[in-house]
Amino acid sequence: MHDPSVVDLSRLQFALTALYHYLFVPLTLGMSFMLAAMETVYVVTRKSIYKQMAQFWGKLFLINFALGVATGLTMEFEFGTNWSFYSSFVGDIFGAPLAIEGLMAFFLESTMVGLMVFGWHKLKAGQHLAVTYLVALGSNLSALWILVANAFMQDPAGAHFNPATMRMELASLPQLIFNHDAQAKFVHTSIAGYVTAAIFVAGVSAFYLIRHRHTELARRSFRMAALFGVLATAGVITLGDALGFIGAQAQPTKLAAMEGLWKTEKAPMPFNLIAFPSQKDETNHGQIQVPYVLSLLVTHSTDGTVPGVDVLKKNAAARIENGIPAVEALQKLSADPGNSQAMAQFKAHEDDLGYGFLVQRYAPDVSQATPAQIQKAAKDSIPEVAPVFWSFRIMVALGLAMLAFFVMAVIYTMRNNVQHKRWFLKIAVWMIPVPFLANEAGWVVAELGRQPWTVYGMLPTWMSASTHSLGYMIFSIIGFVALYTAFIIVEMYLMVRAIKQGPTPIDSQPTLGGNDNPALAHAEA
Amino acid sequence: MKTFLYFLLFMFLAVIVIAMAVILGDTGAWYFAWLIGTTMIVLIAAAGGMLLDAQDDHAAEEAAEREATAS
Repeated sequence: MHDPSVVDLSRLQFALTALYHYLFVPLTLGMSFMLAAMETVYVVTRKSIYKQMAQFWGKLFLINFALGVATGLTMEFEFGTNWSFYSSFVGDIFGAPLAIEGLMAFFLESTMVGLMVFGWHKLKAGQHLAVTYLVALGSNLSALWILVANAFMQDPAGAHFNPATMRMELASLPQLIFNHDAQAKFVHTSIAGYVTAAIFVAGVSAFYLIRHRHTELARRSFRMAALFGVLATAGVITLGDALGFIGAQAQPTKLAAMEGLWKTEKAPMPFNLIAFPSQKDETNHGQIQVPYVLSLLVTHSTDGTVPGVDVLKKNAAARIENGIPAVEALQKLSADPGNSQAMAQFKAHEDDLGYGFLVQRYAPDVSQATPAQIQKAAKDSIPEVAPVFWSFRIMVALGLAMLAFFVMAVIYTMRNNVQHKRWFLKIAVWMIPVPFLANEAGWVVAELGRQPWTVYGMLPTWMSASTHSLGYMIFSIIGFVALYTAFIIVEMYLMVRAIKQGPTPIDSQPTLGGNDNPALAHAEA
Repeated sequence: MKTFLYFLLFMFLAVIVIAMAVILGDTGAWYFAWLIGTTMIVLIAAAGGMLLDAQDDHAAEEAAEREATAS
């Protein structure tokens, strides 16, 4: 039996390392395509200002990229060190996309980043542009594979449990890759990165415009960021809805937590705009509701109902009772793999195997599980509602704020007078942390909402962790927090220094390919 | 006031576009949408940069014409 404190600390450690890592990732995803857009204009127009832009923002991209890789490296190993049973149980499925992600990140992305940074004097403009697009593609494809792996944890499609090997096995690679959750989550996450980069570029450009420094670079950067951002924000909101729609079918407990939905009501159901959920009382305090909206949002109809915690707990209890014979059969098969009677029993109940594991936490011999223990396990099947509920609202509110910001930014920049709107430029600078907060809140919704499962409906979190000592977990968490905080301080220091320094003359040196048009460059100056 | 009305108009348009995408989307072919969408976002951002150059050139020409007329 796992020590619950070790499981909780393993969760905390993974959450901390993932949240630290996720401060860097979205900026890399979005900035790489923003660099590609800037360099595209340079190659088309041959105006050196765009090359200067690509090089300056490329420098900031590189600082962020290096620290993103450094914080991401440990996570790949963490699956093995802290989640060894999980790694063994789903390694056949989870391992493949994780390995491809590693290959994408270390071979395609990192090789191309090297060429992008050091290739300005070695490659022709068109060749360098191709390299920049490959960096962008590599970064985002790397994210694709880790999100394919994550989507399997949210909605285990394309795999089945093999009682002969006692682990899950891949049944269909296309089902794994084209999992609805993977598709929507990849696009939602990737485009959230575009929004992050657009806010970052707009904010830093606004800083320069307020101080009347590098105004030509800043005006152009702001214009491109505003257009990039407004389209990306619309995409993120659309994909967020798609993810909710898919999640309603695949993970109804997560959706109930997101919406603070304790009781199933008749359609059309109201949306809890604000509420203070109480897990103990299974009710909301001080809630403000908007009629009809929940049915519309989740089912895209006015007559659709969404199951609340009351129904979901009943369903879970029924599935636990059905899963208990599957666990019993598995124990018999473990002792005697040739036991055909046990195999028949397992086949009859295998759909609810994971729910049988849920009650094993309270009744190691599941055949002795009492109704009270089954009810307790059924209650466990509901994630912590309050943090999921509020993280979801923070994410959505910040997303809508960013949409409003970008609409305003587009109006001002298209009129070509944003540089005179000091109040708006100040807002732009203050907007820089907003997408980072929204991204972190999104991660909390996705991962805390998946609890109590590591693989939804299949493998409970309490079974998945390694059997480390409490001291080891505390020591390693303190080590990670200290190291990663140092990384963030280094990133902030380097970023602020590079931004204060601005584009340097070295950045605007022509390439050996001779692609700069000196006349145009002179005209620009 | 005019700017605020423009803001309301464009926000309304954004909401309509998002609502249409939501209605049509559900379990859409999102990987394909990402390919098309990313290409569109990159190209529109690039076009925005070029448009700014054209606006600057146009403003400079107008200023030169005004100067010539005045003299």
